[in-house]
Amino acid sequence: MTQRHSTRGAWLIMLASLITMAICVYDYYTPETGLIGTGGVITVAVAGLLMLLASLTMGLVANRGCFLQGFLVVSILLDIIGSSVAGYFLESPVIMAAQALALIGWLINVIGDAAERSVEIDEVEDED
Amino acid sequence: MKIRNFVLGALGLAAAAAAATLVPMQHATAQGGNSDPAQTWDAFGGNQQAQKYSTATQITPDNVKGLKMAWEFHTGDVSSGAHSTTWGATPLFANNTVYVGTPKYNIFAVEPDTGKMKWKYSANGNNGDENQGLKNRGVAYWAAANPTAGACQKMVYVGTMTGELHGVDADSGKPCSGFGKNGVVDVNAWATKNSKWKIGLIQPPAVYKDTLILGWAGNDWVYKTENPGTVYGIDARTGALKWTFNIIPDDMMNQTGTANVWAGISVDPETGLAFLPTSSPSPNYYGGDRLKEMPYATATVAVNAETGEVKWARQLVHHDIWDVDINSAPTLVDIKKDGQVIPALIQANKMGLMVVLNRNTGEPVWPIVEKAYPASDIAGEVASKTQPFVPYPEPLVAEHMPPVSKLADILSFGECSRWKARIRDEGRYTPPSVRGSISWPATLGGVEWGGGALDPTTNTYVVNSNLVPQIYTLVPRAEADKKYGNALRARDGYAAQQGSAYGFKLENFLNMWGMPCWAPPYGIMSSYDMNSGKLLWRKPVGQVQKWGFYMPESWGSITIGAPAITKSGLVFIGASMDSRVRAIDVKTGNVLWKHIVDAPAVAQPAVYTYKGKQYVAFAAGGNGILTPRLSDQLVAFALPN
Repeated sequence: MTQRHSTRGAWLIMLASLITMAICVYDYYTPETGLIGTGGVITVAVAGLLMLLASLTMGLVANRGCFLQGFLVVSILLDIIGSSVAGYFLESPVIMAAQALALIGWLINVIGDAAERSVEIDEVEDED
Repeated sequence: MKIRNFVLGALGLAAAAAAATLVPMQHATAQGGNSDPAQTWDAFGGNQQAQKYSTATQITPDNVKGLKMAWEFHTGDVSSGAHSTTWGATPLFANNTVYVGTPKYNIFAVEPDTGKMKWKYSANGNNGDENQGLKNRGVAYWAAANPTAGACQKMVYVGTMTGELHGVDADSGKPCSGFGKNGVVDVNAWATKNSKWKIGLIQPPAVYKDTLILGWAGNDWVYKTENPGTVYGIDARTGALKWTFNIIPDDMMNQTGTANVWAGISVDPETGLAFLPTSSPSPNYYGGDRLKEMPYATATVAVNAETGEVKWARQLVHHDIWDVDINSAPTLVDIKKDGQVIPALIQANKMGLMVVLNRNTGEPVWPIVEKAYPASDIAGEVASKTQPFVPYPEPLVAEHMPPVSKLADILSFGECSRWKARIRDEGRYTPPSVRGSISWPATLGGVEWGGGALDPTTNTYVVNSNLVPQIYTLVPRAEADKKYGNALRARDGYAAQQGSAYGFKLENFLNMWGMPCWAPPYGIMSSYDMNSGKLLWRKPVGQVQKWGFYMPESWGSITIGAPAITKSGLVFIGASMDSRVRAIDVKTGNVLWKHIVDAPAVAQPAVYTYKGKQYVAFAAGGNGILTPRLSDQLVAFALPN
């Protein structure tokens, strides 16, 4: 089965991942952040890049199978959780705020998908 | 709609947080009102008594949250790799100027309120030729009591790690031609006995009247017989040698060496006594060739600052085979006890003991007992059956190391507990062994070379200390030669101790992931009432930072550096792994303010007032022992208008 879905959530996740990567680059090169040259911000930046790619895929591929959708949804959630924990231990409120934004995007995506599924089922039931 | 608003709100929050991080720091430039008298910081320990105390009251527990960076200055003297720098300088404030020395042997004189450079002197040391790397703990300042016409009536001194002491005019930065040879004294010329290397003048000399009292840093892990630890009294004007004090007895000089004074020296300006913290003899970890008593080694020794004559000595570790040097200038205190005033000194040490002595006699204010400790199982080695122990004031370090960290043990599949089970651990003063011994506390302290700070008006003493076990393993000579050849050092912690029956290996007790194998905290700060000896509070200080991740504050951090204390009830300290400087409430130990600097400020700060404004200055140089992060940043904080 394929399904249409709202891209609004994906765009929010993309935005959050871009913010994450930008702040990581800033932190990596700025002494005042206390994170200059640290592996922790590289890790979060890589996680941000993966999140960007996943959300791009989610946004650009309008019709997709259940497996890909499930994989992306779970991967992004794990990425958000991991980056949030990392942001907490890096004491970076910006990274944590970006993950909050990504989580909102993720929720919009999941709720939107569920709503669309519900509409499709209703339509199918009406056709019956 | 609600979701959209929430998203917009989150975006706004993210943008605001990003903006807050990205906006450049506002620098305080204007002056606030202050009725405090002018406050100098003209010695490594703040004053000759090593109290690290400021009478300034402009910055208080109530307003310290508003402290901002007033200025920063980058010396350019930082490098990593083979010639990495270690910069633990305390900036001096004297002569209306901030002076700082660097690990590349430059002196910078900067404006105290703007950080603009007044002048720079370059000692042109032989960078790269140093026995112990590029290190510096700052400069010394001297002013003639009765100045005459001409230059060099006020002088600044910097040492090099190649044994040169440079003296320059404090106003112009020009070398003082009357000091040594064109402004340079080559101390190596006096240190010829068993000379193995050029001596390292890491620590600036102490100053008393017209005498500089100079110790030096050695390299006591690599040879059995090394440069003996002689202390020099030097004419502050001319650089002429006035006196020497030999810590190693003459008849032992062919069996050992070092026992030098590499840390700060304090002076009682009233009695003219200088208090020397002496280190352990070489080789540090095997004493089978130096069994004869050496009473001045690992001791606090009081000498006449102008003659070098010994007034008294108090050995604090017998037959030191742990490298637990007495490593900080004793802090002088007038204890008010039982209606009397006792002229005393506090010698908190690497073993985590709070030794308090009458500074005129060397007798303990609170009892020192001789306590039995374990015997060595090494052939030829005879560990002292007893060691001095001070039960009160409460020690900074317990008799036994903390239990193995469950988290570190689980994450390393039991590596920590297995390791601990196979090595020798009998608590404090467990002798080094072939199978490996826990040294607790180890050479990293206890208390490090900054020592503590004292408010002499309340006799409140604060001191930071480390809670770090390390593993000491003796390597039989044949095995060492086979594995390491002629190498004096190796990256795995090996040091040759050439000429003795054993090489040595120092290991940090960390699991495969680099996590400490023992339970936190790793670093604490303690406060004592020195009139009663009572412990007032003890709290973790600093935060461990690994790969950028900050560990919980309850873990504390290993610290290298020391606090400064102010009359207004604040303690300022850098020193921790997380490259933060902090202000702490002296009454409670609570952190009231913190700020990130470019690298750990492994020194004590300077607190001074200039044109009615109070400043707190740190040299944020870093130290490879704590973290690879190094810097050349000199930074001062003040309250904005």
